[in-house]
Amino acid sequence: MTEDRLDLPQGTLDLLILKTLSLGPQHGWAISERLHQVSRATLQVPQGSLYPALHRLERRGWIAATWGASENNRRAKYYALTSAGRRQLDAEARAWSKLTHAVGLVMEMG
Amino acid sequence: MLTELLSDLRYRVRALFRRDALEQDLDQELRFHIERQAEQYVRAGDPPAEALRKARAAFGGVERIKDDTRDARGLMLLDAIAHDLRYAARGLRLSPGFTLAVVATLALGIGANAAVFGVLDRLLFRPPPYLREPSAVHRVYLASTFRGQPFTHHTFEFRRYLDLTSATRSFAQVAAFATFPAALGTGPDITEASVGTASAGFFDFFDARPVLGRFFDRVEDSMPAGAPVAVLDYGYWQSHYGGRRDILGMPIQIGPATLTIIGVAPRGFSGLPDGRPPVAWVPITAYAWMRRHDYYLNYNWGWLQIVVRTKPGVRVEAATQDLTAAYRQSWLAERAMDPSLAPLDVAQPHAVLGPTQAERGPEAGPGTHIGLWIGGVALIVLVVAAANVANLLLARAFRRRREIAVRLALGVSRRRLLGHLLAESLLLAGLGGAAGLVLAWAGGAALTRIFTTDLVPAALTDPRTMVFCALLTLAVGVLTGLAPALPAWRGDLVTGLKAGAREGSYHRSRLRALLVVVQGALSVALLVGAGLFVRSFSNVRGLHLGYDVDPVLYVERNMRGVKLPEDQQAALNRRLMLAAAELPGVVSATEAVSVPFYNFESRGLFVPGIDSVSRLGRFQLQTGSPDFFRTMGTRILAGRGITTEDRRGAPPIIVVSEAMAHRLWPGRKALGQCVRIDADTAPCRTVVGIVEDIKQRSLTESGGATYYLPADQLDEGAYGLFVRVVGRAVDASETIRRRLQQEMPGASYVTIVPLARILDTEQRPWRAGATMFLVLGGLALVVAAIGLYSVIAYDVAQRTQELGVRIALGARLRDVLRLVLGDGLRLALGGIAAGAVLALVGGRWIGTLLFAVSPRDPTVFGAVTLVLALTALVASLIPALRAAHVDPNLALRLE
Repeated sequence: MTEDRLDLPQGTLDLLILKTLSLGPQHGWAISERLHQVSRATLQVPQGSLYPALHRLERRGWIAATWGASENNRRAKYYALTSAGRRQLDAEARAWSKLTHAVGLVMEMG
Repeated sequence: MLTELLSDLRYRVRALFRRDALEQDLDQELRFHIERQAEQYVRAGDPPAEALRKARAAFGGVERIKDDTRDARGLMLLDAIAHDLRYAARGLRLSPGFTLAVVATLALGIGANAAVFGVLDRLLFRPPPYLREPSAVHRVYLASTFRGQPFTHHTFEFRRYLDLTSATRSFAQVAAFATFPAALGTGPDITEASVGTASAGFFDFFDARPVLGRFFDRVEDSMPAGAPVAVLDYGYWQSHYGGRRDILGMPIQIGPATLTIIGVAPRGFSGLPDGRPPVAWVPITAYAWMRRHDYYLNYNWGWLQIVVRTKPGVRVEAATQDLTAAYRQSWLAERAMDPSLAPLDVAQPHAVLGPTQAERGPEAGPGTHIGLWIGGVALIVLVVAAANVANLLLARAFRRRREIAVRLALGVSRRRLLGHLLAESLLLAGLGGAAGLVLAWAGGAALTRIFTTDLVPAALTDPRTMVFCALLTLAVGVLTGLAPALPAWRGDLVTGLKAGAREGSYHRSRLRALLVVVQGALSVALLVGAGLFVRSFSNVRGLHLGYDVDPVLYVERNMRGVKLPEDQQAALNRRLMLAAAELPGVVSATEAVSVPFYNFESRGLFVPGIDSVSRLGRFQLQTGSPDFFRTMGTRILAGRGITTEDRRGAPPIIVVSEAMAHRLWPGRKALGQCVRIDADTAPCRTVVGIVEDIKQRSLTESGGATYYLPADQLDEGAYGLFVRVVGRAVDASETIRRRLQQEMPGASYVTIVPLARILDTEQRPWRAGATMFLVLGGLALVVAAIGLYSVIAYDVAQRTQELGVRIALGARLRDVLRLVLGDGLRLALGGIAAGAVLALVGGRWIGTLLFAVSPRDPTVFGAVTLVLALTALVASLIPALRAAHVDPNLALRLE
């Protein structure tokens, strides 16, 4: 079971957060849940480590935070992608697919 | 990119100003996350408590994540420092006693250093105010050899100044200057003040512009008489003229002359500092003319100092060679006038270029050495104080080790913990440093009295002292903070928690004991220094000078331009002596030309059978009336003194001192020998008496050779008289001055200088050493005693239970006392032993500064050991008594 779970490569957490938020504003817990589900529990993200990343992205202006009511009617902090964040996501996604494609080619050489 | 930067900045600023709100937000955000997660587990079937536990585990260490998040906000450093400082301030407010003790200790340590730094900086390092390019400016010293002894001096004749100026090529500027005491004002307002005199070129050394009027120029400073003009000192202008701007052209009476004020020097301008700052500046030719009309013709009157600026590109060695050549040429010119002067190959005259700070030059007095020692001692006091503070902080950290361990367990990083501890020690050091500056400012007045100078700057307004203080504070803060941080860093404090240690359990730190021993050792070393200096000072005071000090005073006649024919001058002297002798309480009076440590006269001496008398040493001229030796208390060893028979026209006589007799006629009888004065054709003066030697140039010299001539048998009248009174001369000064002033014609006047005051200046280095070592050593002792007390008291508090159990089991008062006192005394003995070794080693360097005391003086070592042991006893007695009265019931209930 543990062998099936992966630690995140350095720097990819930002990309995953941006990607998750591109579907709509979310609060921290929902982002972590979503990462967990979508990756089919493969990605090992300690829940707490999400928050430093969220605040760093907010500082850079790629996401913006607002307080709103959660699905169970409690006060929660929602993060949304800004236009700068959207551009950043595009750039990083392109770079990522280029990288995985290239790594894939090398690995297939046998 | 720009928007990203702006967003970053906006975020940081918001984070900085809305710190509390953001912290609350973060709290709320994380709590929401954990509760939401727990909800999920509950829905999956976990009981609520278990769900919450699992949610927390899944989340990770909350404190560390908060730290990381703050970090991510990009505010870590700023925010953390502010946070730590606030946290530290809160902690210190909660224990005011501890805070006060630490701040007071540091204030003493830092204050002492700031005050001493202020003096040493002025004496040794800081160039004079306004001086342009100080590195190219040098004071001139001339050296020669007398009887195989090198001899350096810095006061020269005007003629020498002319010689050196005209014969050198290495200097862009050469100037002469001097300060002299003079009477200021007229009538009852007469005050004595220091007046500066300088050649016109002197002001070109400085980037100083007069705040009013101008400096005097070369026309006003031309030979022979100069112009009667004066430039006021800024401070004097403010204090005596209230800074009035209409004073230009007004007259000012300085000494015998009425001068016209032509300008005011800028604030703080004091030339090259030389004793008291002058109240006014006058042209050097004008001043010299007031004193002697032949000042520029011969080499009889050495009084001025020379300062030079080397030309760009000329190295100091080359300039020194150039100056030496000029000095040799000048020496030959002098020898042409005075054949008794030693030839070049014997005297080997040469020049030395010294820095602008006289105390770093070749003629630096013992004051500099002692000053440096005091600087070192002040630093030691600071080390003792810092050790004490480290000790207190360490005790505090141990007391709080549970809190610290809990915080570490909660995931606070070591770095943050170190930050907390450092913030506390830095805050304490900052408070101590600020209080220390205030102390230094208050203590500045005391230092002024101890040192000869008026150079002690106001610590609170002097930027150099403030910077020094800040650096010291920072160093102390970091070093003392490391003491508790080290064990915390290594995790020693956490193991305490793991082992189930509680606040109450006894733990003796070896580091703390070591710190106490170090404090004790340094205090011992300082107190030994104090003891040695106190004994030196008492030896200096008890020194046999060859004359009495306390009952004698010098009356100086200042003629102030009142010209009297020679016979009337002699008559005036006689009237003054008679008037003085008639006063109640006056024993006797005598005329005199020389005053020990004050002014010196000499003449060319010629003795049959000796080529050059001056090669045999320096001989001082003194003139006296019949009562001379009785007045001074100088003992007559053989023959007779001066009597009423030794009148003008009677056979000329001379009285010589023991050392002079020994040098001129070694192994032969001096009485009856012949000495000629001024020329080898002068009539023979017969030696009729031999008196004891007197100390007149330095307290450490042996055998000041002096000769005495009857005042009546000399053409020139004496400048003043000595008066001996019953009791202390200081008390009789004013009565004598009032009476004698009545005899003075016109604007002339008398000034009274008790010999005690002159000697006081000479003894100052030793007194300064004794005072400073005593004060600082005492300070160190108090601090060390507090340190010992705090360690013992802390131990006792920690051992309350153990002691309670002992008492419950039947230990008697005596046993408990012995237990606690033994602890204290063991530490003290360690300190005494280490300190004694330290003092013995350090004594090797201090030996030369002492006066007739061995640096291993057993009395001093014994006394200091006793003092420290007693102090340790008292310091541990208080906690010991508290320990002895521990209530066993109460102690056991703590269990």
